[in-house]
Amino acid sequence: MKNLENYMLKATTLEALEKVRVELFGKKGLLSKEFIKLKDIPGREKRAFAENLNKQKASLQKSFDKHYETLKAKAIRALLLSEKIDVSLYSNISNKGALHPVTETMDKIIDYFVAMNFAVHNGPMIEDDFHNFEALNLPTHHPARDMQDTFFCNDGKLLRTHTSPVQIRTMLKETPPIRMIAPGSVFRRDYDVTHTPMFHQIEGLVVDKEGVVSFANLKSILTDFLQYMFGDVEVRFRPSFFPFTEPSSEVDISCIFCEGEGCRICSHTGWLEVLGCGIVDENVFKAVGYENVSGYAFGLGIERFAMLLHRIPDLRTLFEGDIRLLEQFE
Amino acid sequence: MIVTKSWLNEFVDLDRIENSDIYKALNSIGLEVDSINDINIPAGVVVGKIISCEKHPNADKLNLCQIDIGSDENQQIVCGASNVVDAEFVAVATLGTKLSEDFEIKPVVLREVESNGMVCSASELGLPNLGDGIMILDDSIGKLIIGKELSEYKKIADTIIEIELTANRGDCLSINGVARDLRVALKRKLISKPFNPLNVEELHVNDVVNINMKDFLNADLSYSLVTIENVKSSLVIDLRLAIVKIDSKTNIDKLLRYSTHSTGVILRSYKGEDFKNEEGMVNIELSSRESGVVEILSKAKPVSVLGISQVDSIKAEDTTNKVLIEASYIYPDLILDSVAKNKFETDELYYNTSRGSEPELSLGIEYIAKLLDLVGEVKFLNGTLDITSNRKRDIVEVDNRTVCNIIGKDVTKKESITILKNLGFEIDERKDEIFIVIIPLFRHDVKNLQDIIEEIVRIIGIDNIPSKTLEFKEALRINDTSNRYRAKKLIRNRAVSASFYENLSYIFVDSKKLDKYGFDRVEKSLEVTNPIADDFDALRTTMMINMLDAVKRNISYSKKSIALFEIGNIFNTKREEKEVISFIYSGQSEKESVINNGKSPQINFESFVEKVSSVIGNFELVESTVKNELIHPYQSADIIINSKVVGYLSKLHPVAKESYGIFDTFIAQIDFDAVIPKHINTNPISNFQGVYKDLSIVINKKYTAIDVMRFIKESEIDMLKDFYCVDIYEDESLEDKKSMTIRFFIQSLEKTLKDKDIEALTLLILKRLKYNFMAKLR
Repeated sequence: MKNLENYMLKATTLEALEKVRVELFGKKGLLSKEFIKLKDIPGREKRAFAENLNKQKASLQKSFDKHYETLKAKAIRALLLSEKIDVSLYSNISNKGALHPVTETMDKIIDYFVAMNFAVHNGPMIEDDFHNFEALNLPTHHPARDMQDTFFCNDGKLLRTHTSPVQIRTMLKETPPIRMIAPGSVFRRDYDVTHTPMFHQIEGLVVDKEGVVSFANLKSILTDFLQYMFGDVEVRFRPSFFPFTEPSSEVDISCIFCEGEGCRICSHTGWLEVLGCGIVDENVFKAVGYENVSGYAFGLGIERFAMLLHRIPDLRTLFEGDIRLLEQFE
Repeated sequence: MIVTKSWLNEFVDLDRIENSDIYKALNSIGLEVDSINDINIPAGVVVGKIISCEKHPNADKLNLCQIDIGSDENQQIVCGASNVVDAEFVAVATLGTKLSEDFEIKPVVLREVESNGMVCSASELGLPNLGDGIMILDDSIGKLIIGKELSEYKKIADTIIEIELTANRGDCLSINGVARDLRVALKRKLISKPFNPLNVEELHVNDVVNINMKDFLNADLSYSLVTIENVKSSLVIDLRLAIVKIDSKTNIDKLLRYSTHSTGVILRSYKGEDFKNEEGMVNIELSSRESGVVEILSKAKPVSVLGISQVDSIKAEDTTNKVLIEASYIYPDLILDSVAKNKFETDELYYNTSRGSEPELSLGIEYIAKLLDLVGEVKFLNGTLDITSNRKRDIVEVDNRTVCNIIGKDVTKKESITILKNLGFEIDERKDEIFIVIIPLFRHDVKNLQDIIEEIVRIIGIDNIPSKTLEFKEALRINDTSNRYRAKKLIRNRAVSASFYENLSYIFVDSKKLDKYGFDRVEKSLEVTNPIADDFDALRTTMMINMLDAVKRNISYSKKSIALFEIGNIFNTKREEKEVISFIYSGQSEKESVINNGKSPQINFESFVEKVSSVIGNFELVESTVKNELIHPYQSADIIINSKVVGYLSKLHPVAKESYGIFDTFIAQIDFDAVIPKHINTNPISNFQGVYKDLSIVINKKYTAIDVMRFIKESEIDMLKDFYCVDIYEDESLEDKKSMTIRFFIQSLEKTLKDKDIEALTLLILKRLKYNFMAKLR
């Protein structure tokens, strides 16, 4: 028996061991042959022989199992080793793209106002004079039209110069209370380091009954919004002029680059102008046939926000599909 | 609008007020400060008096000056400027003066002559350029004291403030106007010095000048006649005009422009002689053929259109003896309309008149008279000839409670009234919270209650309004548009995961490229009239041109793999907008690395389709029906979602590829509506084992795998959970037929399937295929 065990232990692979198992334990194996001998053994000795044989078989089986486990473990180790790779070669092979900083900023802004329960509205890029100017208290020869160099079409329509016409469209379609934003692309005939013929704006409008909406409300939401966008900044409101709001204000944040100390980006003023807002002018309400209402409106340029947030120096690169810029947002 | 501190100080008391206070006050009242800069005159630059000036012995173009700079001895200074011979007082940079970081004045020898200092020009001192030569000082800057530091003269060492005026504030287009507003914020007094001209003739202007008015003018005019012998300018006038960038050729024009910038009153001059009639009277004809067009005529010829332009030859020159001075005001909306209608050419004063010039004409007439008196030898005729339109002043009734409601802060009636009075509004108090505001003519922009509230807000200061959250009635405001944005965000994020960078491009495109590559153009009658550039002259009918341009640009930046997508609008020929998502992939499909031995495979049809699918989900591809020159005729397809053609996908045509000079490129454009994720209802999941079964059939070559798949799908066979084609085989022995192997996954909701069930189902499928495609079991 000892020999059998040694013979078995000589198997060094699982395949060899399987062969040994058949030789020893198989139907025609050595042990089977021993058991066949039982029938020739006389009655009294039979029992002892059988007991002995069973004992030896059990012992052999035990050795076999143990050896099997050893070889199995060895085989797995070999398999693992054969699958060894240099994982470091697989570093940084991502082929992921990236969102555009402008749309990504737009998402962030929309998220805020949707969370503040503003509806989102869209409008056409090709507009008419009424929605883009007239209804917004910009009558035909108004000098404020100079501020917006307009692209006209041959049929007298125009490319919207701001997202404000969406306010008009929404007010004409719906009834107060209104609580909406309108994101989208707008167009002005201007091209230099700080101007592109197309850029993006988000417009906000809140309208409710007369006496309900005040400038104090506007201050509250815009201060909160700007701190959501830029973190812990100071917010300053300066009186300004827009034809469609009155009183109007421009809103500045303390410069995020120099923390208000004064630097090149804030023209040494310590402040960065980021949006315009105001109480909706009564002429705008007149144009859409609203009476006895009050409201506020605000508007901002998304590129400006994106450039400030991500320190992008040149506006024009945003419209050139420049992967050298985009890949930094992976 | 540019102002200076010393100039403002002539209208408002700015004693002991810091620049930072002015900066803050202007910003807080809505006069946004663009920049505020001090003129720093270096220490050591002093007033010098030229005692003698002679030619340099060894140089023709140099002068040798002995200059008194207030020290014990006169200084000998060599000066190259030719105008030094006319000068009495000059600015001298004395020895040791640092004119800049690396320029210190030291004794030098110039052509063997010693020079101990430098006579300075304006620009050498950091002042605006005042023309060739040195700066000649006069007492317009203050009493000239020899040896006094020039930096102590506040009219020289001034502070320049550039204000970005909003379009409504024509009243602030003058020093006087800015001062009038600023003084309310600073709580300072306006300075007004009464003026009594010294040389007034007994003759009244009425005795010499005659006005012949044909129509109702609806404008204000004031005329004064002056006899001028010698008209000069002064250093302060020259300097300030240079600071505010007003360029004048003659001294008389300088004085007029200076007075207009100071007071806001529009002032023009005329040659008095040119108006003289046979009787020797100065005869001014005025007519207004239409609203907003007021013409001033000399001998029946129009020489000026009020507020709009003036004929050059009628303007007084420095040699003109009898000068007619005109101050005018016209309501800005009137000329805005008439200029737009008549397409008049306008001159430099139109900017002021169209935004609202100063209506208080006597202010301007007096100011110019005072200036002339100071700098020239002049005699005035007694009085002025005035024409007034008696324009009615607007009136607004104010309920102070509305003021509080709109601001969101309590402001007492008294506070509101005080603010408005300080700003020049007249008030008529009524009972309770009501009062009437009478608007001064110079604030033509104030028309209604909201305008009045704006005035109150800017003086209170928005910073002093508390933030208050708005209470509003809760309501569901998520709408189709917000859902669309959400879907867009999802799709965009998937595109990013599938290796695409998000692109944003203009909706403009080069029309030549649209034509070259066979794309539609927006109908000419609807196209943009005034494009910004030749290569942005058309509205885009495809996004692909912009994207190809971006690819080309990136290749020039040495990029080897360019994958871009964009969601945006394109137009059809009728200029209707449609939102599409476009993809473009050019070059390598992997990063170069050890793994691919530095050789990435190029993008191919299969991997491009896979990438696009991982963004927008499954779609079917059928032979392309799109015709344009970007499409590769044999590697292109229509994209079908829910049985509808929603876009195309193609390899870039090799000709286009060559012309762009880019790598192998694949493009796709899909209607965005079609890719918005749809609502999903689930099907029950079976707990019983399913089986896969392959079926090989022989069918006519004309049928594609998609035809067969669609047919099986439409057959809606029970227990058939999934099926797809795994092999297609053609050879000569099959003649006009091909073999197709389809794999089915069969599963029941009720039981484990037995062989006979599977057999029955297979037979059913085969029967259907036989019926529809004359298919045979292989």
